[in-house]
Amino acid sequence: MADSLLSYISLAMILFSIGLLGVISRKNIFIVYMSIELMLNAVNLIFISLGRYYESMEPQVISILIIAVAAAEAAVFLSLIVVLYRRKRSLDSDIFNILSQKSAS
Amino acid sequence: MIDIIFLILSLIAIAGGFGMIIFAQPIYSALSLIVCIIALGGIFALLSAPFLFMVQIIIYAGAIITLLLFIIMFLNIKDDNLPEEPNKISTIVIGGVLLIPFNYLILKSFAAMEDKPMHILSNGFGSIKIFGTELFENWLVPFEMISLLLLAALVGAVVYARKENKSEEK
Repeated sequence: MADSLLSYISLAMILFSIGLLGVISRKNIFIVYMSIELMLNAVNLIFISLGRYYESMEPQVISILIIAVAAAEAAVFLSLIVVLYRRKRSLDSDIFNILSQKSAS
Repeated sequence: MIDIIFLILSLIAIAGGFGMIIFAQPIYSALSLIVCIIALGGIFALLSAPFLFMVQIIIYAGAIITLLLFIIMFLNIKDDNLPEEPNKISTIVIGGVLLIPFNYLILKSFAAMEDKPMHILSNGFGSIKIFGTELFENWLVPFEMISLLLLAALVGAVVYARKENKSEEK
């Protein structure tokens, strides 16, 4: 089982689906963010298993770049959440609609 | 033996992922995500990527998700602040059913690839030396662009998180 590419891809697709379900079904903004992280991890798993399949190092380098992007995303996202939570006292993802208005109240 | 390790790790990862989207409290979700990410790191090690295994444990579980946990504790969230999600379970079930054809198509396309043995390589594949050579020979420009991105994220985080002027407040 651990010898076939398909089992790794299946695991990655299951995790990606779980992340997608989290994004579309939850309103808690932290859980939406964590689901995005889970999807990034699933994509990393696909990259690394394909890298092992073709015995190439490039997918591992791409994975490290993805992890760096995830770290940058974490910093910006969490500071944005802290500011919005201080103003609105809510973790509902609807609080982000103030970002769409010209005069944010 | 490897099969059993793979099965256990993947079951832990899937259970952690499900726990993450089902718990109502964000702190339990973050802990489930840490469990899931560490199990995924073990699977990276099975795929002869020991450096990424270390990065996954140290940077992902140790830095990014711990930062998330710190922010969740820092905000001191009460139950009143959590959004109401009455249709959570039904949305997850319906969405899961709707995602089956999508998954089926992708797995079908991967099943067409011929099977190769995926055992752990012992010729140094995935070690730090080969990794660094690949990164700094063929991926130097993306590496530098990532450093620019991290600088932009740093500036953005400082701009968001600084104290607001009183005139800007509601």
